[in-house]
Amino acid sequence: MNRALWAAATGMAAQQQNLDVITQNLANADVAGFKGAFASFTDIAGPGGTLGTQSAAVRTFFNQGRLVHSGGPFDVAIDGPGFFAVHDSRGRRAYTRNGEFSRSSDGTLRNAQGWRLDGVRIPSGATGVTVRDDGTVTVQAGGSSKTCGHIRLAQFAAPDALESSGGTLFYATPSSGKPHFVAPGTPHGPSLAFGSLEQSNVTIVEAMMEILAAQRAYEANAKGVQAADEMMRIADNLSRS
Amino acid sequence: MDGIAWAVSAMSAAQTRLDVAAANLANAATEGFRRSTLRGSLTASGVRLQQVLDGAQGPLRQTGRPFDLAIAGRGTFRVRGPNGKTFSTRCGSFTRDRNGHLVDRAGRSLLGTSGPIVVPSGGGIEASGEVTGSGLKPNRIALPEGSTLRSGFAESSNVDSISEMIDILSAQRSFESAQKVVSAIDQTRERGATQVATVHS
Repeated sequence: MNRALWAAATGMAAQQQNLDVITQNLANADVAGFKGAFASFTDIAGPGGTLGTQSAAVRTFFNQGRLVHSGGPFDVAIDGPGFFAVHDSRGRRAYTRNGEFSRSSDGTLRNAQGWRLDGVRIPSGATGVTVRDDGTVTVQAGGSSKTCGHIRLAQFAAPDALESSGGTLFYATPSSGKPHFVAPGTPHGPSLAFGSLEQSNVTIVEAMMEILAAQRAYEANAKGVQAADEMMRIADNLSRS
Repeated sequence: MDGIAWAVSAMSAAQTRLDVAAANLANAATEGFRRSTLRGSLTASGVRLQQVLDGAQGPLRQTGRPFDLAIAGRGTFRVRGPNGKTFSTRCGSFTRDRNGHLVDRAGRSLLGTSGPIVVPSGGGIEASGEVTGSGLKPNRIALPEGSTLRSGFAESSNVDSISEMIDILSAQRSFESAQKVVSAIDQTRERGATQVATVHS
């Protein structure tokens, strides 16, 4: 009975973790560039069959989100594989698909956390900022057009192995490999859409359905715990009758 | 065997049924999981239960990830761990690592008919198990005849939560009944021991 009790408990723990992941997806369904995650499980092999379930991995789901026109002057969305490279507050390079940038006083483009986009610096007093399809940023300064940077997209051999920091920012790991920078706008490569943002790839209806299923599964395992407990009580009664 | 021994064997069988049903239920969300079933038989030494894996196909669920592979039909994936040990599994949740190998969640690489499966950038896996992509020596995932591979799908566990719940309840009831039988026999014996030979004086 203890075996059943523990097996049911592992099922409850797994569904709890599943719920945590789905609710995090749901909470970020409106965040541009957010990539949903999913938990997956594996059985615990033991003598005489399985002993229950355990978490195998929580993985990010890198499918493309929908591009939606947002109108922000420095909003950029990526259509296709690749990430913007930004520098986090400690100077470490992070990768994101959230292209909600704004121009800061030093001329750099920064995301909502204040992290700087790699490769672009707009001089002060510049007007008429335009970005070409190949990622080249030009400005009008003193009557002439001047290039002030290039937006390059980082691609990875194994993006699944990137380390996620909250679902919009990612860090390279030894297993993901080093980033490989490509210019956007090539025939088979990713392209940029200016004035647009990539929506999260979480579907609210799907996430709601997953929550319902996970809750029911949690309850079913809780019933398993109860049944095991009840049987222990009955076994206990043997010595009292 | 006396009555108590029979009832005890029934109780232990009910306990095994509960153990198996609870473990199945816990794995209702485990990809590629095969539920265990119990085959019971009566022997001279009580109820004997044998655990058998139920090989029924689990439902296929679309995931949209290209290296989620599901086998429709019989067959298993062969994977090799870092220590060289090979395993068979129905769980086809793979990702492409930086060298192009398909690896499972535990980092084990998927094996084809001629060594580990390597998928070049832009390549994929056909329904026949064949690896596509340029510049490769031919390799395929071995499948028994009649089985096909679905890329972008995952095979869910073949556990049906409702039937496991019913199994849990019915195991609980059998356990209870058997316990009543033990108590009844025990009471009868108690009477036998204390009342049959009472000498009234």
